Formats: sequence, C-alpha cells, structure tokens
Amino acid sequence: MWWYVAKRLLQTIPVLLGATFIIYALVFLRPGDPIVGLFGDKPVNAATRAAIEAQYNLDQPFIVQWLLFLKDAIVFDFGQSYSGRSVNDLLAATFPTTIKLALMALVLELVLGVLAGTLAGLRKGKLFDSTMLVVSLVVIAVPIFVFGFVMQLFFGVKWDLVPPTVGANDSFKNLLLPATVLGLISFAYVLRLTRSAVAENLLADHVRTARAKGMSEGTVVRRHVLRNSLIPVITYLGTDLGALMAGAVVTEGIFNVNGVGGLAYDAIRTGESPTVVSVVTVMVLVYVVTSLLVDLLYAVLDPRIRYA
Amino acid sequence: MSERQPLLEVRDLDVAFRVNKQDVPAVRGANLTVHPGQTVAIVGESGSGKSTMAHAIIGLLPGTGHVTGGEILFEGKDIATARKKDIVALRGASIGLVPQDPMSNLNPMWRVGSQIKESLKANGIASGKVADRRVVELLEEAGLPEAQRRARQFPHEFSGGMRQRALIAMGLAARPKLLIADEPTSALDVTVQKQILDHLDTLTDELGVAVLLITHDLGLAAERADHLVVMYKGRIVESGPALEILQDPHHPYTQRLVASAPSLASQRLSSLEHRAEVREQAQRSAVQVAAVGDEAGAPPDDVITVQNLSKVFRLPGSSPFRKTDFLAVDDVSFSLRRGTTTAIVGESGSGKSTVARMVLGLLEPTSGTVTFDGVDVSDIGSRADKLALRRRMQPVFQNPYASLDPMYSVYRSIEEPLRTHDIGSSKEREARVRDLLEKVSLPASVMRRFPNELSGGQRQRVAIARALALEPEVVICDEAVSALDVLVQAQILTLLNDLQAELGLSYLFITHDLAVVRQIADDVLVMQNGKVVEAAPVETVFESPREDYTRALLDAIPGGSIPLGVVEAGDDLPRRGLDD
Amino acid sequence: MRDLMPGQQRWVAALAETPLKAVDVLDTEAPPESQWKEAWKRLRRNPLFWMSSVLLALLAVVLAVPGLFTDADPTFCQLSDSLANGRAGHPFGFDKQGCDVWSRTLYGARASVLVGVLTTLLVATIGIVTGAIAGFYGTFPDSIVSRLGDIFFAIPLLLAAIVTLSIFNNLNPDRGFWGGCLAIVFTLALFAWPQITRQMRASVLQVKNLEFVDAAKAIGASPRVNLLRHVVPNSLAPVIVTSMISLGVFITTEATLSFLGLGLPSSVVSWGNDISAAQNLVRSGQDLSVMFVPASALAITVLAFILLGDAVRDALDPKAGKS
Repeated sequence: MWWYVAKRLLQTIPVLLGATFIIYALVFLRPGDPIVGLFGDKPVNAATRAAIEAQYNLDQPFIVQWLLFLKDAIVFDFGQSYSGRSVNDLLAATFPTTIKLALMALVLELVLGVLAGTLAGLRKGKLFDSTMLVVSLVVIAVPIFVFGFVMQLFFGVKWDLVPPTVGANDSFKNLLLPATVLGLISFAYVLRLTRSAVAENLLADHVRTARAKGMSEGTVVRRHVLRNSLIPVITYLGTDLGALMAGAVVTEGIFNVNGVGGLAYDAIRTGESPTVVSVVTVMVLVYVVTSLLVDLLYAVLDPRIRYA
Repeated sequence: MSERQPLLEVRDLDVAFRVNKQDVPAVRGANLTVHPGQTVAIVGESGSGKSTMAHAIIGLLPGTGHVTGGEILFEGKDIATARKKDIVALRGASIGLVPQDPMSNLNPMWRVGSQIKESLKANGIASGKVADRRVVELLEEAGLPEAQRRARQFPHEFSGGMRQRALIAMGLAARPKLLIADEPTSALDVTVQKQILDHLDTLTDELGVAVLLITHDLGLAAERADHLVVMYKGRIVESGPALEILQDPHHPYTQRLVASAPSLASQRLSSLEHRAEVREQAQRSAVQVAAVGDEAGAPPDDVITVQNLSKVFRLPGSSPFRKTDFLAVDDVSFSLRRGTTTAIVGESGSGKSTVARMVLGLLEPTSGTVTFDGVDVSDIGSRADKLALRRRMQPVFQNPYASLDPMYSVYRSIEEPLRTHDIGSSKEREARVRDLLEKVSLPASVMRRFPNELSGGQRQRVAIARALALEPEVVICDEAVSALDVLVQAQILTLLNDLQAELGLSYLFITHDLAVVRQIADDVLVMQNGKVVEAAPVETVFESPREDYTRALLDAIPGGSIPLGVVEAGDDLPRRGLDD
Repeated sequence: MRDLMPGQQRWVAALAETPLKAVDVLDTEAPPESQWKEAWKRLRRNPLFWMSSVLLALLAVVLAVPGLFTDADPTFCQLSDSLANGRAGHPFGFDKQGCDVWSRTLYGARASVLVGVLTTLLVATIGIVTGAIAGFYGTFPDSIVSRLGDIFFAIPLLLAAIVTLSIFNNLNPDRGFWGGCLAIVFTLALFAWPQITRQMRASVLQVKNLEFVDAAKAIGASPRVNLLRHVVPNSLAPVIVTSMISLGVFITTEATLSFLGLGLPSSVVSWGNDISAAQNLVRSGQDLSVMFVPASALAITVLAFILLGDAVRDALDPKAGKS
C-alpha cells in the first residue's frame, strides 16, 4: 500500500515539471517587453532596467528562469508580480473562493448526477430516462456562458431569488448560482456515465446470482449495482476538480466572483507572467493531488486494484 | 420410494425472447420432472435452450425472455404465473442456483463471506455474528480450506475452483430443496472439476437436495445423474434413466451425441495400418523437398526436435524494484516425428501453450533449442530464411472468435499468407483459395463472407485453410477444438485427421482434454507446472500410465468409466465436412 | 437400478417434430454481410441516427450555400437598424450594430463548424498515431507518449488555450478568417490530444493480444504490416465515436473562447462572436433573441454531432454504453 502511494507520488513529479515547463515556455514566447508595459510610455533608464531584469531573472536564459522559478515554487514562494505585489498574497486572496465554488459545483454535480443517472439507468428506455438524456444533451450542447447569462437574468434579476453577482461576499447563498452553472456540464457527464454503468451492471452475471439468492430487488440494486457503477464516476471526478477550477474563468467573469479565474484572466491579458505561471502551477497541483486522492479512493472501492 | 409427489414438474413449457417485436421461441413444449433428492441432468449443445430452461425455472430469464406457455410446478404450485414477490420468496430458500462462470458470478467489490451472508440474511436464516459463523461453516462444508480466513478475502484472491466452491456454498446456504447447477464446472480444469462434482454429489446426498444439472457433457451427465433429459434446438428429444439412454440411445440426435462424445471410451479416428501409410507418405514428400533443396541424404525422421526448452517470465514482485521469476516452461524436450501427431496435454498453467508459442517463434525461449528439420531455428538469421521457415510451420489457434480478423473477408484471410509470401498472380491465388476451401469442406461462396457470419466450427475451418495455404509440413494446433460443441469438435477432428492423411502433415496438438488426445494423437506429452511428467505413445498413456498425475487426469475424464452399448463410433457422423 | 419415478419413464420425441439438422451447416442463401454492414443495419433502425443525419445534412447545405436561406448580407450593417425587430427578409431582426441576425447566423456556421471539424481531425490524427505506436510497440515509445500525455492532460484545457491564444493575439491581432481558425485549431489540438491517445492505446493493447494478430505474425507479416493492416483498423471504433462527440465539444469551446475575447478575430462572422457580442443585451435584459438565434444554431449543431456519435457507438457495439 505505502509503496503504491510512494510510486504514485513519484509519478507526479515529471507531470509537475513538464506542465510548469510548458506554461513557462508559452509565457516566454509571448512577445512584448514586460518592463515597457510596467512603466507605460515613460522611458526607462538602463540602470533601472538592469535592476528589474535581475529581480525577475529576465537577464537569465529561459531554462535558468524556469529552474529558478521551480526552486522557489517548491516552498510555495511564487515571488512578485511585475506590478510589485506578492503573488502569494494574490493567490491567498482569490484561491479560497474558487476552491469553495469548485467544491460546491463538485458536490452538486455528484449528488444530482448520480441520483438522476441511477434512476435513468434503472428505467432505461422509459420516460424519465429519455427526459434525462435530452437534458444532459442540451446541457452539453449549449455553451456554458449562455446558461450563465440566462440563469443570471432569471434567477438573479427577474425573480430575485439569489444575488445576480457575488462581489466580495462569497457566502454559500451568493455562490449557489455560479456553482450550479459551473457544475452543469460535469453534471451531464456524471449523469451519462452513471446511467450507462447502472444499465450495464444490471445485466451482470453477479447481479443475477444475487437475485438467485432471494434478495429483494432494492437490496440487489443497492449492494451490487450502485457500488460497482460508481467506479467510472469516481474516475471521472478525479480529473474534474482541475477542470472546474479552469472553467471558473468563465463563471467568475459572469457572476463577478473575486476568484482565481479572474486573476488568471487579467494576468494573461496584461502579460503578468509571474502570476500566470503561478496560477497554472497551483491548478496543475490541484489536479495532481485530486487524481492521486481519487486513485486511492478507487483502490479502497475496488479491491482488485493491486498496490504493485 | 415412499414419496411420489414430484418436487418440480415442468409441463409443456414454452419460452421465447422478444426480438424486434416478435417472439422468437427458445424452448418449446418441454416436459421435465424432478423428485426430491434426485439428480436430473439436462444435456445439450450451446443454443439448445438448456440454460434458458434453468433460468425460467428460477424466474431469472435474461432481457426480453418470458414464458409463453405451459407451467412450472414447484411442489404443486405454478411459478410460471406467480407474482414476483412469491418467486423472490422461493429463490434461495427453496430453489438455489450454482451459476456457470465462477469468474463473473461473484461481485468483485465485496468479500466472499459477505456475499454468502447475504443469502442467509435475505432468507431470514441468520444475521450478525451468527451469520458470520454460519458462513465459515458453509465454506468449510463446500470444501474450502482455511474457511475462516478465506471468508474475509475478495473474489480476485480466489482461484477458479475456490470461487466455484464459494458459489456452491452460496447456492446451498439457505438449504434449498432444489439446486440448479448450470454448467457448474465447465470453466475449470478436469481434476478440479472432478473434485468439485464429487463434493457436490456427497453434499447434496447428505442434505437430500435435488439437483438439476445443466451440462453440455454427456459423459458427465450420465455419471452424475439418475435421470437424463436431452435437448436439441429448444426441444427435448429424449429423456429417461441416464445409463439406459447412454447405452441405448433411440433418437438419432442422442445417437449422434453419444457417438461424438470424446470422453466416452474413444479411439484413434483412423486405424493403425492407415497410420503407417500416412507416415510413409510424409517421409516420401520430405525426401522430395530435400532433393529439390539439393541436399544429400534423407532428412531426419523428426521434423521438430525440442531440447531443454525453458521460459522464464519476469513478473512484478511484491516489493519495489524487485521482480520475481516465474518458470513457465522448465526443461522440456520432445520430438515430433514426420507425419504423426504429438499432443501436449496439461491443465491451465502447465506451460503447454508457452511451448507452442516458442516452437512457432512467437516467443523467445530463455534457454534450449528448437530444431526444425535438422536446423536450429535460432541460427536462422536472414529474413528470407525466416520467412521460408514460417511457410513450413503454421498455427491454428483456440478461440474461433478471435483467430480471424473481423475486418477481413474469408477470401482475404486465406489469401493473406499467399500475398505476404508473394505467391502466384491474383488469379492463381483465387484458384488456390477455392482449392483450400474445398479441402476444409466449405463452399466456395463462403469467400465473400466475413467471420461474424460464420459459426465457431466454420471459422476454425477457415483458420485451418489459412494455415494450409502455404503448404506447411507442420501445423501447430493450440487448443484448436476446445471452444467447440462436441458434434462440431468431432467434425473438425475428423477433418484434421483426413488432412493429415492426404497431405502428410505433422501436428503438434496442444490441449487440456485427454479424451480428445486419444482420437488424434500418436505420442503424448503430459505437462504439469512447466515440466513434462510423462511422455509416451498414446496407447501406453491410456492403458498403462506411469505417473500418478496422468492417472488423475485419466480418472477425471467424465464418464470415462461408463461401459458403452452397441453404438458404433462415428457411424452416422459425416466423415468429412458438411452434408447438406 | 432404481425404480422409475412418475414422469420419468423413457420418452423419445417423434422424429417428425424434432428433425435432425446437419451439423454446423452454412446458410449459403443469405447475402454476405460484413460487421460494418451489420452495424449499418442497426444504425438504420435508430431514429436518433436519422434525426442527427437530417440535421447534419441541413447544416451541410447551409455551409455550402448560406445564400439559399437569406438574401441579406451578414456584413451589411446600419446603426439605424440597431435592435430593430424582424421584418420581411429579416426574420429575426437586427443586432446592436444593425446587422441581420439570421443572415449572420447562417454565414457564421462556416467558421464554427470548420474549427470543430479541423480540430477533431487533427486531434484524431495525433491521437491515433501516438496511441497506436505507444500501445503496439510498448516499452520506450510508450513511456514517452504516456508521460507526455500525462503532462498535457494535467494542464487545464481552457486556461492553456487562453494563454496560447493570447500569444497569437499579441503577435497579430487580426489574423483574418483562416489565420483565426487555424490558431484556435492548433491551440485546442495541442492540449486535447491525450484523450484520444489514451483511448487508442487502450484499444490497441486489447486488439494486439488477439489471436489473429499472432496468426499474421506466424505467416511472416512484419510488425509494421501487422499494425497497419490488422491492429489499427480493429482499434478505431471507439476513437471514431469519441471524435464525433468531441467535435461538438470543440465547437462550444470555440464559442467560449470568443466569449473571453480570445476566439476568432471580431472581423470573422462566427457564432461565438455573435453570441458573445450579444451578452450585454442579455445581461441588461434588453433583448434575448439576438443571442438566442446563433446560440440555438450552435446548440443544434453540437447536439447533432453528439447524437450521431451516440448512435454510431450503439451500432458498433450493441452491448456497451459507455459515455
């Protein structure tokens, strides 16, 4: 077991290195002089320029810049943005909100998706199943920001059930609408996954054997169909938290949430490379950690997984 | 017998599946009676409706299956029309099931013990700690050693035989009056099969449980059951006392079945005299080949010689960075005489298929040599020479559903070897494919068809035609008939035998089934755990086996000891191929 | 021998009722049918397939000759028409700039669908090649491909696309129609290939252990021939299905990027641009229909591709139902 965990941890190292390298490379490729941007139209004297270049390691070759970034990132020190603010502070101000938002979305999609998916799978071909199928398809087909605007307009503005924008107050009630919108697509995927897994497992040999034991249909479904069907859903969720945090770029924009998505978006537009690289690194880290957790959970759920 | 009220009575049962809004019958007008404590067997090939009948009785017909007529009386009450609640109450407590495939019938997510406990709980027999203790007793009763520890394990930690024992414990947990055993051992090795069936026999005798045994194996059915029911294409063709049917079958189908069953004291398909001719012919053609190849002297008598062949697989070990060596084949030596058949027999894990793959050059041996016609195969360097060797040695594999590329038409499949070796123009190749199809008794019109349209036996014929396309001297059959129904199996064996006589082929025949060996082999190699335990001519192995293991294998052949009546083996079987 | 029990007397069915058939006969009458033909037969019976086919056929006509459905010029805009209601020749009215909504939606299909189709083709090509190599050859090539896939998979697609596209934007903000489309295609493909690679690899791993591959080896077919003729064709089915579904997803992703201001250049008529241009109208509750028309067109197109993918999957593998 411990060897399995250690091995999985070791596997995450090249992923983290590679992902930061790619982002670093992309940011580096971005044309334009950050120092010029920093001072606006004012001329920059050579000495100041040299000092700033040294501060951000801009005088170093690309690979060295990346390695220096890594050296600090290992102890979670992401340095300063070009505008002189601590990136750690920026992250601390925005990250908790986004995590809260993403987790709410995750719980919503998981609970509703599994519930609806199970019922649809059990009633395959019936009205409820067809309805759910149409709902999931529409959710996948319509761009998420369209849903965002429409739901904001109706729930927030016209019916005034929840505040249309969040602003500085990231309370549960305020985040409910953006979390719903954020989790919508994943909800559709969870529903589809659960539905087909349940329908497939219902036909499994061991389910027939369970029925032959004289167990009631409810018990058979609960003990032998549901648990087995959760495996693909769990696998999906492993990659989903990372995707949700990235998706927050859109949702946070619509609902004016002060989160990491907005931070990343602004940083990309203004060429704040240190911030961009840091945000993406943290997101990759979240992805890596959740998929590790999910792998462990998976091993608990499915005894067949070998810790070797 | 005092009790005359039957436990189960099936009357004029019709079962159908709904396909495209139409009822397609699967069982028609079936009658069956089981008395308390009795063992009744339903025998039939795949698709005969025997499993459908079993599932109808326990009310678990899959998918769109439903009873369309007749009645199923359990202790006098009709359960075909009973309410769902009443059937659920019957299941487990009155009718138990031991399903077919031990691999898929246990839920991989739950401990074995808890899955047996479910049966106790569902039928209100025991719960909590009492039930846990009972589970261990049940597993012990089913013949599982260390039951206490095993109950806490998961199915994947069990071998096939152990799983089957767990399923038996499960089926008997609520002490049903009737146990439906649906091919309970067909996925297991013969020796394990025998142990488990023996155990099941004793157990059901002690408990007075009636058993409805579903099987494809006539020998096994006759050995285990009092009463026999033979099914064919959804209908019962014959029923009666087991021995009587076996020794004096009336219906032509039963006669055919008895004649083809390999387990029932079978003999070599062709006579000894005939065999000598085959060998001579093979020798002659080999001399011709040698003469063309401009080599002096007669070729060696042994076309393939294997010396001290070993294969070690490196498997990931329990601790990091360490691999454990697994010796799959351990110092195997044998030779294949020209024009004869050498069979390698063994149970799963014996290394027999690994040997075949190494001889075929699909797998690199760890040590030892394979010599083909006097030349060490590993010395052959050039691609041209390697191709030349491939031409002289071809395989036929086990699984008829995987041995042909589903995207290739029959024509392309058989033509592929010719094309690969650049033989003939496209016209000549087509003529050759026609010729090959005729050799395996398939109509030429089959050329344009695809594997998905063919039955298992027909696919194996195509695979044989493909193997013969390059006019090889040696054909390696890796379980080539194991997946086929008995009648089809008998046909293919006859075909292989005839082809050997006609073309002077030498066969290396890999199989788990000793009964088949007797029909086809000249020499036998018995393997166990990677080692050869006995190597001898086929008569010696069957008449006076030296080793205990060989004897155990022979004893385990179901029905092997049943004396047969007047049936002439192979009498009404088509000698070759397909009559109309 | 035991006594005969009631109901268990010797019984033999009449031969007339149970005629004996020859063993293993081949039906020579039936027309030959490959598995593709069988799949096609199943597909034909599926109403969802026909629904998506009709929609896609309609879409193809719109792509080829958008002028068939409207006389209005999508780029002819008059501020005097701003947000005007529909009138003859302009069924869905005008947007804020006074451009004809219906005409822009028809002409906008080209860019959106082109991005979806090209991205899918590129992703499928990369995925199939790398997945087949990784799965078939194993060892070193497999490690390289799989680790690279892990790395690209770990970076969130949307964020990576924003970063990459902002580079393109900085280099040359107005890239024109083709420049704009290709920039998005390459960006999405760069980060979306691992999914297909993983699927193809798994599929190849399964197929390469089947016996017909061994049989081809025994004939003397080289590994390359074996891979191309036997393994790859038999591994493609799941990848084809996923590609059809992801085609729709790429179209919505393009729209999302446009919403973020990083999609196609604003000079290009596209659904994404029109939908995001209408966002303020919706936000203020001023006018829903300006967004509704292009958004519906996009949703229906995506739906058609997903439905087609679902139907094809059901036809290829009637038992499975993975999402």
